[in-house]
Amino acid sequence: MRTGKKALPVGKISLLLVLLLVGLVLAGCTGIRGSPEGGTGATIADGTIFLSPSLASSGGGFGCSAPATEGKLVALNAETGVQRWEVPLGGAAPSGGFGCASGATPVAVYGSPALFEELVYVAGYNGKVYAINAESGALRWVYPREGNIDSIVSGLVVGLDKLFFGCADGNVYALDAATGDLLWEFATESEEKIWSTPALDGETLYVSSFDKKLYAINANDGTKKWEFEAEGAFASTPLVVDGTLYIGTLDRHFYAIDAANGTEKWKFQAEKWFWTRAVVFEDTVYVGCFDNRVYVLNALTGVEITEFDLESPVRSWPVLAEDKVLIATEAGRVYAIDVASNQLGLFVDLAEKIYAPLTLSEGILYVYTQEHNLHAINADSGMKLWIQTVD
Amino acid sequence: MELNWWDIIAIQPMTNILVVMTHYLFNNFGLAIIALTLIVNGAMLPLTLKQVRASKAMQALQPKLAELKKKYGKDKERMAQEQMKLYKESGISPAGCLLPLLIQMPIWIALFQSIMRMLAVIPENLAGLSPYLYSWPVVYSTLPLDNHFLWLNLAVGDIFLALLVGASMWVQQKMIMTPSPDPAQKTQSSLMLWILPIMFAWLTLSFPSGLALFWVTSNLFRIGLQYWIGGWGGLVKSSPPKDTGRDKKYRKRIAEVEQVPSGGADIVPSSAREEDTSYEESGDKRPDSGGGYPKSPRDTKPKSRRGKGHRPKRR
Repeated sequence: MRTGKKALPVGKISLLLVLLLVGLVLAGCTGIRGSPEGGTGATIADGTIFLSPSLASSGGGFGCSAPATEGKLVALNAETGVQRWEVPLGGAAPSGGFGCASGATPVAVYGSPALFEELVYVAGYNGKVYAINAESGALRWVYPREGNIDSIVSGLVVGLDKLFFGCADGNVYALDAATGDLLWEFATESEEKIWSTPALDGETLYVSSFDKKLYAINANDGTKKWEFEAEGAFASTPLVVDGTLYIGTLDRHFYAIDAANGTEKWKFQAEKWFWTRAVVFEDTVYVGCFDNRVYVLNALTGVEITEFDLESPVRSWPVLAEDKVLIATEAGRVYAIDVASNQLGLFVDLAEKIYAPLTLSEGILYVYTQEHNLHAINADSGMKLWIQTVD
Repeated sequence: MELNWWDIIAIQPMTNILVVMTHYLFNNFGLAIIALTLIVNGAMLPLTLKQVRASKAMQALQPKLAELKKKYGKDKERMAQEQMKLYKESGISPAGCLLPLLIQMPIWIALFQSIMRMLAVIPENLAGLSPYLYSWPVVYSTLPLDNHFLWLNLAVGDIFLALLVGASMWVQQKMIMTPSPDPAQKTQSSLMLWILPIMFAWLTLSFPSGLALFWVTSNLFRIGLQYWIGGWGGLVKSSPPKDTGRDKKYRKRIAEVEQVPSGGADIVPSSAREEDTSYEESGDKRPDSGGGYPKSPRDTKPKSRRGKGHRPKRR
C-alpha cells in the first residue's frame, strides 16, 4: 500500500531545533544591552556647552547592542550649536563576541560634566576622571594616573576646591580639583555600588548608595556624620532645600529627611522606582517616577497635592524655569507644570528617548536625547531654536 | 516601555520568581539560579522523560533504518513508506522526540532571558528591569541583586564555568549516543557530540557566568536523569548494564526479538508487540534502563497509542 507519506527526518529536525534554540537564546539578548551607553546632560558656562554623547547602538549582532564609538567630551557654541572642540576619552572596541557581555569597557559617561575655574571634568564608566581645559580641550590630568578604579556612573560635584564623586566600588572620592590628587576616600561598609551623584550643601556631602543607605559626610575630611537607611536601594540623587533632603528610592518611596541628623520627616509611596532627582518650588515638591507619573507633593507633610500620568517613565532630571517645572519622559515628551496652578501642559514633543538631565541656561532649555541630538528650545515659548547631532 | 505578551506570560513571572527566590536564599542570586533551574527541570520531568525515551527508541531503530536504506535507498518513495511502516510497527512516533522539545523550548528561553535581565549591571539594563517587576514589597527590597557567587561575578564570563558547560554537554551527548552503522547518522552524532559542546563553551565565555550556571545545572540534571534511565550509556562502553528485575525481562525480550529474521519493516512478531505494550502500560520504567544498547527497534518501543482507557493494573 502506498501512502505517499514521507517519514520525518527526526535526527536532522532535532539538530535543527537545537540550533534554533541556540539562535533563539542568542536572540534573547534583544533589548538587553551589553555595553554601557551613557550620554550626559549639557553643562553650560561662558557661552559653551559641554557634554559627553551617548555611545551609539550599532546592533552588535544577534540582537545585542554594541557601542560604535569611543567616548568623548564635546564643547559646542551655546548660541548656535556649532562644535568648538572634542576630546576623545580613549576606550576600546566592542567585544565582538556573540554574547551580550562586553569584553572591553568603552568610555561611556553618565554624569554631566562639572566646571571649576578653567577646568571641565567628566568621569567615565571605565573608572577614570578627566580634567580638561575648558577653553582648548587640552587634557590637564587624569585620576587615577595609572590603572582604573571601578566604573563611575555618578556625576561630579565641585565645591570647597574639591571634586566629589561616588563609584561602583562603594567608595566616595574627594580629589583636589586643581591637581587631581586624592584627598580622602569614604568607604561604605557594604561596598555596594554608588551610582547617584552626590549633593553638596555647605560642608556636608550627601551620598546615596545601593546599600539602601544615605550618608552625610563631612566634605572636608570624609568622616561620616550620619546615615539613613531605607527599605530599598538608592539610585537617585538627593536634593537639599532649606535643611531637608528629598530623595526617591528603588523601594518605591520618596523620602524627606532632616539634613541635620538624618531622621525621616515623611515618606510617600508610588508604584515603581524613583530614579530621577526632584524639584522643589516653595512648599511643593515635583518628582517623576518610573510608574509614568509625576507627583506633586506638599514639601512639609508629604501629602499628595496632585499627580499626572505622562504615559512614560521619568528618568531625566527636571528643571525649574521661573513659573513652571519642565519635566521630560523617556518617550521624548517635555511637559510643563505651572507652579501657580499645578496644571500640566505639553511643552514640546521631541519623539526621541530622553534619559539625560534637562539643562536650563539663560532662558534656553537644552535636551540631549539618546538619538544623539542636542535640542535647544526657548524655555518660554517652547520654540525649537536649533538641533545639533552630537555623536 | 510596553510589555508584549511574551514578556507578560513568560519573562515577568520568571523574573519576579527569581527575585523572590534570591531573597529567601540568603540574597544569593547564584543559589536562586540553581534552584529555579532545578525546579523548572523537575516540573518538566514528564516531558523530558518522554523525549529522552523517544530519542533512545529512535536511536535504537537506526540499524534497522540503515538496513532499509541499503535495501530501498534508490527508491525514495518506497524508502519513506517502509520507514513509516517501521515507525508504526515499532509504536514510535517521530513527533514524540520533537514535541516535548518544542514545548520545553519557550520555558528555557524565558528562563534564559529572565536571568539576562536580572544580571543588570549597567544603568540602562537596571532601569529596563523596572517594568517587569510585580508590586510585591519583597521584590523592591531585594533589587538590585548582588552578582557575586562563590568566586564568580555572575555578570562576567568565566573560563572554568565555560569549560564545565562544554564538558557537561559532551558527557550528556555521549551518554545518549548509540553506535550506528549509517555514515550519515555517524556524522550527525559526531556533530552533536563535539560541535555543540564546543559552541556552547565558546558562547559561555562571552555571556555572563550566571547563564553558564544555568546551563551547567541543567546539564548536570540531565546527566543524572539519563543515568537513572539508562545508566552511563555510551559514555562507558564496557559498563555492565544495571542488573534489575526489569533488565532481566528486557534481556529475555531481546533474545526473543533477535530470533526474528530482519529485513524489511515487517520484522516484529505480534507477540513481541503485545509484550512491549505491557511494559509501557503497566507503568514500569522502560526496559532499556540497564544501559546496554538495544539490539532491535522493538526493544525501545515507546508507549502504545492503542487501548486508551484500558490501563492494566500494576503488577
